[in-house]
Amino acid sequence: MKAYATADTANVSAKPGLAARLKKEWRKNAFVYVVLVPVLLHFLVFQAFPLGFSFVLSFMDWPIIGKAEFAGFKNWETFLHDRLAWKSIGNTLLFSLYYILPTMGIGLLLALLVSVRSKLAGFFKSVYFVPVVTSFVVISGIWAWIFKGNDTGIFNYVLSWFGIGPQLFFSDSKQAMIVLASLSVFKVCGSTMVYYYAGLKSIPGHLYEAAKIDGASGWTMFWRITFVLLLPIHFYVAIFTTIGSFQIFDSAFLLTSGGPNYATTTIVYYLYQEGFVGLRMGYASVLAYVLFFIVLILSLVQRKFLGKEVHY
Amino acid sequence: MPAALKRLPLYVVFALLGAVFLFPFVLMALGSFQKVGRAIADPLFWIPDEPTLYNFNYIFEASNFARWIGNSLFLTLVPVAAQLFLAGLLGYIFAKKRFFGRETIFWLLMAVVMVPNQLLIIPKFIMFSKFGWVNTYASIIVPELWSIMGVFLVRQFMLTIPNDMEEAAYIDGAGDFRVFFQIMLPLAKPALATVGTFAFISCWNDLFTPLIFLTAEKMYPITVGLSSLLTKEGNFGIEMAGAVLSFIPTFLIFLFFQRYFTEGIAMSGIKS
Repeated sequence: MKAYATADTANVSAKPGLAARLKKEWRKNAFVYVVLVPVLLHFLVFQAFPLGFSFVLSFMDWPIIGKAEFAGFKNWETFLHDRLAWKSIGNTLLFSLYYILPTMGIGLLLALLVSVRSKLAGFFKSVYFVPVVTSFVVISGIWAWIFKGNDTGIFNYVLSWFGIGPQLFFSDSKQAMIVLASLSVFKVCGSTMVYYYAGLKSIPGHLYEAAKIDGASGWTMFWRITFVLLLPIHFYVAIFTTIGSFQIFDSAFLLTSGGPNYATTTIVYYLYQEGFVGLRMGYASVLAYVLFFIVLILSLVQRKFLGKEVHY
Repeated sequence: MPAALKRLPLYVVFALLGAVFLFPFVLMALGSFQKVGRAIADPLFWIPDEPTLYNFNYIFEASNFARWIGNSLFLTLVPVAAQLFLAGLLGYIFAKKRFFGRETIFWLLMAVVMVPNQLLIIPKFIMFSKFGWVNTYASIIVPELWSIMGVFLVRQFMLTIPNDMEEAAYIDGAGDFRVFFQIMLPLAKPALATVGTFAFISCWNDLFTPLIFLTAEKMYPITVGLSSLLTKEGNFGIEMAGAVLSFIPTFLIFLFFQRYFTEGIAMSGIKS
């Protein structure tokens, strides 16, 4: 490190010839450049170029078969007047509504539960985490049978114990999104649990002891200490579940194909339909950029809030 | 009152929630042994009265399931190996090496994390059509050879390792490669285990990318294969047998590397 610092100041003050400096840098860091150059090339080809290309695409008519043509703002104008596109955004927001708070709330409750000092806690923490590593395809396959929309469906059977008649679930345009959200809550709340668990572990115990001496009840301690000190975790979890909810695709593709009556056509499902079923690559790029802007804004919000550390 | 009794309500809550979380998996496991043609008219249709392996046999004979498993293994293990190696190497370089533009390059690479996969997949589809990569393993493997999140995790980990050992090795005359392979890589094992487990799960479970790039049935990974089975068969036992087979590898990884998941989540989330 010291060697580097002196070399640096020497560069600034003495300014040896460029060739000599490059040679010196190469001798010092050949290893770095040998590794970094191919990686940066890979980055250019598979990430930077596609990012720029998709922007260009959004101003083009680009069918897979046939000629690509410049289309100006046509695709963007189409988007502004495309009721289905706006419906897909609305559907995605609805999904977020059903999904984000339950995932956070259940995750927090599970974290509180498994942070109890008990031999069984570790075991159950693992159990609650299993859905996180399971693919959407597997869980969707199971969900299809649990939420079958007639009286032989398992969930309908459970409902019948409470005197509730059979529900349609996937074929009901109001319920379909709720069932898809329930699938995602089930799949993701194990990971929010782990974030909250890490957060809970970092809260110093003396705060609770002090509160106890002051005669605070468990309820007060939860809201005044635990909940408040978990603020950074709330933000982090809120942002990643929100970003995830805007990218929901698998379950809508597998279970409802965007239906019934477009009720579960999410942004990404619509993008998939336009781009890879309808082969309208230009228009699909517009939709992708809309998705990107939403995710970007959310990420920037996250940056802003995550910068603030909470001190105990 | 004995302590165990006092804790009873806690155990009941644990167990009830455990049952809710495990029920879908129990349904899947039992259902995979259910015989075809069992009336599904009653709600307990998923409990096999005469367990059979028919569904598993059927899957392997009537579909390309064995091939799909092979495809998935290949499309997962190659990127995982490459990502481990490159995450180690790049994490080391960005944490310990001092070179021109280090921070700028690193944060430039990181910035692209915010770009959703769905945005890049459209131009990539056009590019790969031109390359002749559609329906080849390359379309999935090549873009996944390294991942910036893996690099980030290893870099964060290596920043916490003091420089003493590395410097001592250089003084003893070790070259860059030796220092990396014999000192830094073994030290970074916990971070690499996290990178590996996450990469395995995300590659194995990916549906969207192969759905677009691999359209020939022979090329399907297990996610796409299983989803074609789900839409085609409509048969409970067969679907569940397929689900079990695609679930097992992720479950094994989870069993063996569980703590790296939870530590990795804590590491990526809290410190970033």
